[in-house]
Amino acid sequence: MTQSVNRATVSRHLTDWLANRLPAPSYVRITTVALLVALIATTPGIFTPRSLITLLNSAALVGCVAIGMTFITVSGNILSFALGATVGLCAITCAALSGFGAVASVLGALAVGILFNLLQGALVGFLKANSLIVTIAAATLAGGLAEVATGGQAVYADPGSLDALKAPILSIPMAGVVLLLAALLAHVALKHTLFGQQVIMLGSNARAAAAAGIRTGAVTMAAYALAGGFASLTGVLAASRYGAGLFEYGTGYDYSAIAGVLVGGTSIVGGEGSIWATLLGVFVIAILSTVLLLRGFSTQMQLLATGALVLAAVLSQGRWHRS
Amino acid sequence: MASIMIGARSLRNGTTRAFIILFVMLLGLLVCGMLGLISIGPATGFSILQNFATLGPVALGLGLTMLVREFDISISGMFGLGGCIAVLVGALYPALGIVAAVMFGLIAGAAQGGLMMWLRLGSVPVTLGGLLTFNGIANVLTGSESLRFTNNKIVSLINEPLLGFLSLRSLAAVLVFAVATLIIGWTRLGRDMIALGSSRQAAVSAGVSETPIIVGVFATSGALSALAGAMLSYSLSAASPSGLSDVAVPAVAGVILGGASLLGGAGRPAGTAAGVLILCVLATGLTALGVSSAIRDFITGGILLAVAISDGPDLGRRIYELKAIRRRIGGGAGSLRPLEQSVARTTKQL
Repeated sequence: MTQSVNRATVSRHLTDWLANRLPAPSYVRITTVALLVALIATTPGIFTPRSLITLLNSAALVGCVAIGMTFITVSGNILSFALGATVGLCAITCAALSGFGAVASVLGALAVGILFNLLQGALVGFLKANSLIVTIAAATLAGGLAEVATGGQAVYADPGSLDALKAPILSIPMAGVVLLLAALLAHVALKHTLFGQQVIMLGSNARAAAAAGIRTGAVTMAAYALAGGFASLTGVLAASRYGAGLFEYGTGYDYSAIAGVLVGGTSIVGGEGSIWATLLGVFVIAILSTVLLLRGFSTQMQLLATGALVLAAVLSQGRWHRS
Repeated sequence: MASIMIGARSLRNGTTRAFIILFVMLLGLLVCGMLGLISIGPATGFSILQNFATLGPVALGLGLTMLVREFDISISGMFGLGGCIAVLVGALYPALGIVAAVMFGLIAGAAQGGLMMWLRLGSVPVTLGGLLTFNGIANVLTGSESLRFTNNKIVSLINEPLLGFLSLRSLAAVLVFAVATLIIGWTRLGRDMIALGSSRQAAVSAGVSETPIIVGVFATSGALSALAGAMLSYSLSAASPSGLSDVAVPAVAGVILGGASLLGGAGRPAGTAAGVLILCVLATGLTALGVSSAIRDFITGGILLAVAISDGPDLGRRIYELKAIRRRIGGGAGSLRPLEQSVARTTKQL
């Protein structure tokens, strides 16, 4: 008798525990994941080391930008159009500094990425300037700057100087290791620090946050700087992969990063979101592309499928969810 | 002094500001012409208006969505897709190509607006999904290849100068702006749109029917982007799934320069036209001067940034704070203001 009661209590606790941890009603999400699992299971050749490494590499490049984008989205500033430009600028910096060694390249790229976005964050945070316009303007200015600095040509790194940045660790590609470390760091920053809580509060209600004594300007600026730091990791990874830096390496990352954030289920209006959800979103898109590739679909179909997936993810957050 | 104050205040009004900047730009162009740096003639006007025909309708659609406090990100996707549809259909029936593109834009735009209203979703995420989907459709339709449009009769017809500075294409762009100006300025529908953008709740309480207007605005935006893409494809006798011209950044720039705000209710078609014309005059002038694309980027980005900063709601407060800090540093501790002095005295007495 007691045992059955205990069992009932345990199972109720378990359901509560699960209910608290799983994102709110998510039949659509569960269906999506189930469909995806079925697709993966029936696709031959996806579990070969080669496809897994390709998958990880492509997910890692988008992933670092998407992690950065999460901070901007959660802080209530929708999205930045300048993170792709950040990737381009940082790839150029990394390649240009390669003569001073890998450490100097990485630090230089990080500094450029952080400073570039910190300045935008200052305008958005302290002047309440429109975030979309500021980031579009910044991306345009960065494009001009890169054109002047490089003459539109690729900047080649010293041969071999950046090899340390693409050597696998324990047979895991460096990009995957960087992504994992970045995600851990970002998760701690967002969920386990005062700063992270302030970013979330700022995004959910900026006026209340200001009334509660949060220095909204400084927090916004820091969120942008952090986003720039994560995006510059992608710049470094791209530069070390191609052995060169080119502004166009950053093209398209704004949209694929925000796609990952949205597919992961982070709300575009800010105030909620998680790094793991973003990572899930990025991987869902990457897996879908790989599956379609392995099943012989064209690149065009992959583009269409990604678009439809993002649209479906957005629509699944609509009103039918709450009612 | 008073005239400067009035000038400063009217700069706050976006439409007036756009026309002032446009006037200065045209003056600059004229001065360059008189100094002999560039040659000015009907061809200059023609070139400016050809640019305007590409950018104008796209910016107008975006401006209308911003007027009702929404934002259509999908414009550049629809612009590229419109060109592809027009060339694919137009290979057989040229007139039908443009109609097909516009119809598709209308329906897809309405679908986006309908989904937003039905599911109570924001326009940014829905149109982001729309952008990626339209881009995917364009790639599937064309096999990710550029298409050629081989009907030379149509190409020369659409590019042929009318009255020296117009073309069929720019005439169409001017016409859509004229229609939009009439609707926004002189009809109940226009008033309703401005009301919706200024305060959604108040407008709905006052009896404005929200759903048809939002759906209609997004349908219009889709149709206008598709129209611009289709006309550009006919004019350049080619189409590409990524669009023949990068319209997203300049369209946003034009709309913002024209006085629109993400807060809604602001910006009129006339302002958007002026904002786009500023960019077109700038582009034509700089190209004629032989300035590199990097410098053009700097100037476009700089103007956008300046507008974003001067529109920042907290700009005044920050300037005031800076002044206060400077006063305190400059005056030193001895020159406390009267109120602070009396507070200091009271504290001492206590």
